[in-house]
Amino acid sequence: MAERIIVEKNLVVRHGAIELAEHWAIAISGLILLLTGIFELPVAKRYYIITVPGLSWSADFITSLYLHYAAALVFTAAGIFHLFYHGLLGEKGMIPQKGDLATSITVVKSFIGIGKEPPMHKYLPEQRLAYVGMAFIILMLIFSGLVKTYKNIYAPDMPQMVLLWATWIHNIFFVLFFLAFLAHMAAIALRPNRPMVRGIFTGKVCLDYARHRHSLWVNEIEQCQVIPMALADETTLKAADQLYDASTVYEPEAQILKAGGIEDKVPLAQEEDKATSARE
Amino acid sequence: MSNIMKEKKDFNINRRSFLKISAGAAALTGLSLPKTAFARTEAQLSTLIDLSLCDGCENLQTPACVGACKAINKDKIPQVVGNIPEPWPRKTIEDWSKKQEVTNRLTPYNFIYVHKAEIDVRGQRKTIFVPRRCMHCDNPACATICPFSANSKKENGAVVIDQNLCFGGAKCKDVCPWEIPQRQSGVGVYLHVLPGLMGNGVMYKCDLCNDRLSCGKLPGCVEACPRQALLIGPRKEIERIAGERARVMNGYIYGKTENGGTATLYLSPVSFELINNTMAKKPGQPDMKPDVKRRMAATDPLGKAVLAAPALGLIAAGALNWFSRRKEMVKKEQKNNG
Repeated sequence: MAERIIVEKNLVVRHGAIELAEHWAIAISGLILLLTGIFELPVAKRYYIITVPGLSWSADFITSLYLHYAAALVFTAAGIFHLFYHGLLGEKGMIPQKGDLATSITVVKSFIGIGKEPPMHKYLPEQRLAYVGMAFIILMLIFSGLVKTYKNIYAPDMPQMVLLWATWIHNIFFVLFFLAFLAHMAAIALRPNRPMVRGIFTGKVCLDYARHRHSLWVNEIEQCQVIPMALADETTLKAADQLYDASTVYEPEAQILKAGGIEDKVPLAQEEDKATSARE
Repeated sequence: MSNIMKEKKDFNINRRSFLKISAGAAALTGLSLPKTAFARTEAQLSTLIDLSLCDGCENLQTPACVGACKAINKDKIPQVVGNIPEPWPRKTIEDWSKKQEVTNRLTPYNFIYVHKAEIDVRGQRKTIFVPRRCMHCDNPACATICPFSANSKKENGAVVIDQNLCFGGAKCKDVCPWEIPQRQSGVGVYLHVLPGLMGNGVMYKCDLCNDRLSCGKLPGCVEACPRQALLIGPRKEIERIAGERARVMNGYIYGKTENGGTATLYLSPVSFELINNTMAKKPGQPDMKPDVKRRMAATDPLGKAVLAAPALGLIAAGALNWFSRRKEMVKKEQKNNG
């Protein structure tokens, strides 16, 4: 795991290259699968999708199948890789923990101004729950898709009961996958979650954000990582200065301030002041 | 000409002998009732349509095969609703319920028709009658990519549409090289879901009389043919007979390799290129282009790669995991050393 604090840049590495590659392989192939899956239904002619520039191929089921297979190859390989790679490494950060449901409710309530978020680990409790849901949907899609692919190539006369199960599992989980995708987009559109978006593109999130929201995670990293004192002082003070003047910080940080983050961070800055005075 | 007739006689195996062949095969598998055994062996069946024998039943108002098929399937389609819902946004409605008597093309109410081909063979005019219906392909795209698996290939080779599951999207017709399935709007499950937005009826086509086969009966067209131009039997037997007859009459076979192979073999003394030239592809009237390719075959290599994808993911996970652990170990060793 590449998690570490880059104090001089006020960043924390949240995802390594492998996690980013996994995420984007599954995300992009998943979207292609959704689109070509829709085009495997007889909708393109009926709904005039073929008249949309660039989509004239959409009514050709064999072309859609090519693309569907190509995306399925990436989706399946990436999904199985994810399961076994992290499983073999014993990484359990995304596995739901006891109390996640109750904590998720607390977090969701805090979004609408009821109560405060508890200190959190790298992943939010609702993220862990959503992960299990999404993983189950993906596994069912992969499993039923493999049965259907096998049928297409080797067993067109497969027993109809097996075929019907595979077909309806694929169809139902296709709808659930689409809904899960919409929920995922809605989750990252929520203001408190927006600073995490940067992480899935660059692998890094703002240290201030991480300290504010994922304090348990940052503490864990700090225990393992030796940060040069001079740098730590300089960066913390710089970060604290920025916190006092929200107009100079970039937008996501400003949102943290508006969301009440300043209350958590002022004592941090004050503590730092005390520590500096003590050293003097 | 008389030579051909003699050869026809030599190789003319009747339907009863096919039942015998099947019964023999059934006896080997321990089943004793010939008629039921015929279906229960679940061996792949094939039909042979010998165009050198078919005379189109010109003496009859309707060819015997067509008449028998219509009689068997007359109650297949349920009552069509009075006001067929108008599909949105494309407003295509296909209603054949008031034209049920049509027999010169495929319709939801007519699963077989006979095409009359007038052909010049080396200056001689020849009339060939070609009964046309579903070919029951070996790997039928119409069945394999039906989004609801309403269309399926049975172990005996029949390709059957379950009218209780079909939404009438006509995808099967689009992917069939002969565009065999025909739609009847205003019937089927779509009426109970979102009739204006999703589905448009039910697709119908020949199902090789699969229900009759499972009761040990012959398909209607095969049973009714007065000249035994249509035969059904175990696939290998049919292929053998078709091959022998073709050799003797120096004839041609259609359906063995077309669309990846089918369970219907046409045998003709005239080349299918010439027959095809007499067929202009029209709705409900398929052509007979030789060497039609199975388009889905081109996607098979990629499909096989998909089937191998779990192994790919697993191998990559194992390899990277080993690499990560080793890197970690080297780091630790370096740390310990200094």
